[in-house]
Amino acid sequence: MLVLVVLGYVLYLDHMVVKQFEGRRWTLPAQVYAAPLELYGGLALKLPEIEHELQRLHYRRAERADHPGTYRLAGEHFEVALRAARFADEARPPSLLVINAGENGILNLRDAHGAEVPVLRLEPLLIGSIFPIHGEDRIIVTPAEVPPLLPAALKAVEDRKFDTHHGVDPLAMLRAAWVNARAGQIEQGGSTLTQQLVRSYFLNSRQTLSRKLREAVMAIALDAHFAKADLMNAYINEIFLGQDGDRAIHGFGLASQFYFGKPLEELELSEVALLVAIVRGPSYYDPRRHPDRALLRRNLVLKEMADQGIVKGRDAAAAAQRPLGVSARFAGAYYPAYLDFVRRTLRRDYQEGDLTQAGLRIYTSLDPRAQDEAERSLEHELDRLDRLGNHPKAALEGAVVVTAPQSGEVTAIVGGREAGYDGFDRALDARRSMGSLVKPFIYLTALESGRYNAATVVQDAPIDLKLANGQHWQPVNFTRQVYGAVPVVRALAESLNLATVGVGLDVGLPKVAATLQRFGLPQPPEQVPALLLGSLSVTPLEAAQLFNGLANGGFHNPLRAVRAVISSEGKPLKAFTLKVTQVATPEAMYQLDRMLVTVMDRGTGRPARALLPPQLIVAGKSGTSSDYRDSWFAGFSGSHLVVVWVGYDDNAPTGFTGSAGALPVWAHIMAGLGTNSWNAAMPESLAEVHIEYPTGLRAVPGCAQDIVAVVVPGNASLAVRPGCGFPESPAPAHGVPAKPANTFLNRAQQWLQELAH
Amino acid sequence: MRWLLPPLLAAALAGCTLFGGTPPHAGPTAPPGAGTAAQPGPGEAPSAPPPQRSFRLSPAASALVNQAHRHSGAGDYDQAAATLERALRIEPDNPLVWIELGRVRLAERDGAQADALGRKALTLAAGDPAAQASSWHLIADSLRARGRNQEAEDAERRAGSLATR
Repeated sequence: MLVLVVLGYVLYLDHMVVKQFEGRRWTLPAQVYAAPLELYGGLALKLPEIEHELQRLHYRRAERADHPGTYRLAGEHFEVALRAARFADEARPPSLLVINAGENGILNLRDAHGAEVPVLRLEPLLIGSIFPIHGEDRIIVTPAEVPPLLPAALKAVEDRKFDTHHGVDPLAMLRAAWVNARAGQIEQGGSTLTQQLVRSYFLNSRQTLSRKLREAVMAIALDAHFAKADLMNAYINEIFLGQDGDRAIHGFGLASQFYFGKPLEELELSEVALLVAIVRGPSYYDPRRHPDRALLRRNLVLKEMADQGIVKGRDAAAAAQRPLGVSARFAGAYYPAYLDFVRRTLRRDYQEGDLTQAGLRIYTSLDPRAQDEAERSLEHELDRLDRLGNHPKAALEGAVVVTAPQSGEVTAIVGGREAGYDGFDRALDARRSMGSLVKPFIYLTALESGRYNAATVVQDAPIDLKLANGQHWQPVNFTRQVYGAVPVVRALAESLNLATVGVGLDVGLPKVAATLQRFGLPQPPEQVPALLLGSLSVTPLEAAQLFNGLANGGFHNPLRAVRAVISSEGKPLKAFTLKVTQVATPEAMYQLDRMLVTVMDRGTGRPARALLPPQLIVAGKSGTSSDYRDSWFAGFSGSHLVVVWVGYDDNAPTGFTGSAGALPVWAHIMAGLGTNSWNAAMPESLAEVHIEYPTGLRAVPGCAQDIVAVVVPGNASLAVRPGCGFPESPAPAHGVPAKPANTFLNRAQQWLQELAH
Repeated sequence: MRWLLPPLLAAALAGCTLFGGTPPHAGPTAPPGAGTAAQPGPGEAPSAPPPQRSFRLSPAASALVNQAHRHSGAGDYDQAAATLERALRIEPDNPLVWIELGRVRLAERDGAQADALGRKALTLAAGDPAAQASSWHLIADSLRARGRNQEAEDAERRAGSLATR
């Protein structure tokens, strides 16, 4: 009877092992890729930057570029042995690329035969994967992608009789039992690779006798049903090799990326040996936290490999001299906040199981350079601001979103000052009062009404509104002063609350609300007067959506991070394509954007000037919520929109305005991006004129002290500063920011001034 | 010289008050003083006819546009659009690439998107009559595809007037 029960149990285990082993081999988290870097003649990427990009992809400098993943630098040209690459729309075999670079960037690209290549993308950087709740992440490798040294080393160190035993090695177990009994604790494993595989697949790690027996039975069953090569491949893909927050690093494919940032097949002897060393205790031998232990054990592995004749003693000795070679940051490319956005985008179309198991390849628009710049600037500036801040207990937090305005692609997201930490994602989830970030939308509504332009004089005067609930609403300016009659351009540049509320009430709350919704606000805002001072709460990502329309000439495009999803077989499943909708007239948009340029030159954005390249033209707006709880800055160049939020998680006052808190972060990011000036074409019906900044009266340069260039409709009628002469001129101007007029005009002006004197 | 003389003469004759007229209503008060139409004055931005531009594709964008044409020709509009998006990332301000993308959308019978892309191209094309005309042609075709023939004719007329400028 007992025999029958045992037999039945063994058969049950046998059945379960086979079923699960076959099923489990195919669960693959989706792999997520950054945008590939497009190379072409004329790209402003200099030699060191090109090299940096190659190294980001873990290309190695070599004497000859003869192995995929290596490059040679000769004078001003690179020879790059490109790896095979899979893009959303094509697969490319390994090939040779020659990059000729000059002082200002890439001159041209050539292939192995010397033919010119007009444009070519480097392979996309793997930035992570979408792993299931229990946190197992892995990159599956096929036997062809495994360097032969790896299985040999595993056998040498973990299981010498792997090729001949039947799943268990009784002698090794006895020997381990003997050692452990004498030591009074577990010192030796004695488990075969198959047993370790069983443990990882099916069992928890409690060390009990019954579990040991079950493990042995299952290992024998596995060994009986599957070929050794299959078991080795399963082991290589299954075994636990490290922990990164919630994420468990499984398999040598991912471990290779996690520790060295490159594919398994490119690992060198010393690197293979380190991974094999880690198997025994991924936490104890963590090469980042315990490099000394890891180094000792790696060299032990190397010695073992040499002793067993797998490598030459000379090679092992040389490898033992190498440093660990582990990348400093986790794989150099782990962006949890960005991945969070990708995951949320895909959850609309995919089941959790598809994402965590089906081996999808997800191509995103993440720009590693922008991401790194945003992370670095936020961390650095928050450290500085913390020293000035007024919260004794908490550290300031922040979030950054960077987009490419014309395409609406999100190129970077930072969810907090510890960017690599997979926690609360402020860019997506911190919903905070937008403060004065709302003002551009009020003035845009005003411009579209046709009743306002940049030179229109408005009253910055006390306001007392009786609300529906009987209370009185009495907003004040930031400085608590009242400025009287000011032109619109100044009201926006200096973020005057009273003037703006006056304009907003004049054009009407429903119109302002409609503008915000056209630009992508997801919910209709509450139409209360406080809306005009930004009582509305938005996430940094939503703020980026709103401002993206301003940066994109009045065209709305839904912000997107995912470009395409490809099946594990390479079949395109879904593309997120560029879609634009015009949400403002080109004329109103251009006038507003020019006023946002003035914000940077004359207004609350001015402190950024010292940090930006002198010739760079940018536009933007600061935002500060009541009691300085939120410090915002949103602004754009010709090729980047950057939105920064700074505040405390507990919503305590920061003591910083948008200009003091978020602006320096913003300016550092902008300066580091290598961005292009904002340079939109002025619609032909508009004209650039000069007004006196304090009064809004028209005045030629030199005629009054404080003159600013603004853009107004060509037929707008402007009041003239007494004493400043004005002739009529033909066709309106075209082009951007005020350039010194041509010599003809200068002479004409001198002549006029002489007449006046 | 021809465009410079009249304003100077006018200025000499009329001082600074060229046009009376009420300033636009500006909240509570309007500024005092006489108004002048917002034509550039001396010392202001150049007021010659708008600088003429002529957009062209860079070799990189051109290669991608050609590749997109091959995809379109084979009826693979998704690939064509993806390839044009690559070109747009390289030259986001070039209206010619936006027009190409609009043409792909039109071939896919997405008239609304073709129209929007045409208008996007138009805002970028200021100063380039040829690119402006191509934008209007695209807009006209996208209107016609949706049965809005009257508006299509207007758009076509605008394209025509640019071509002869």
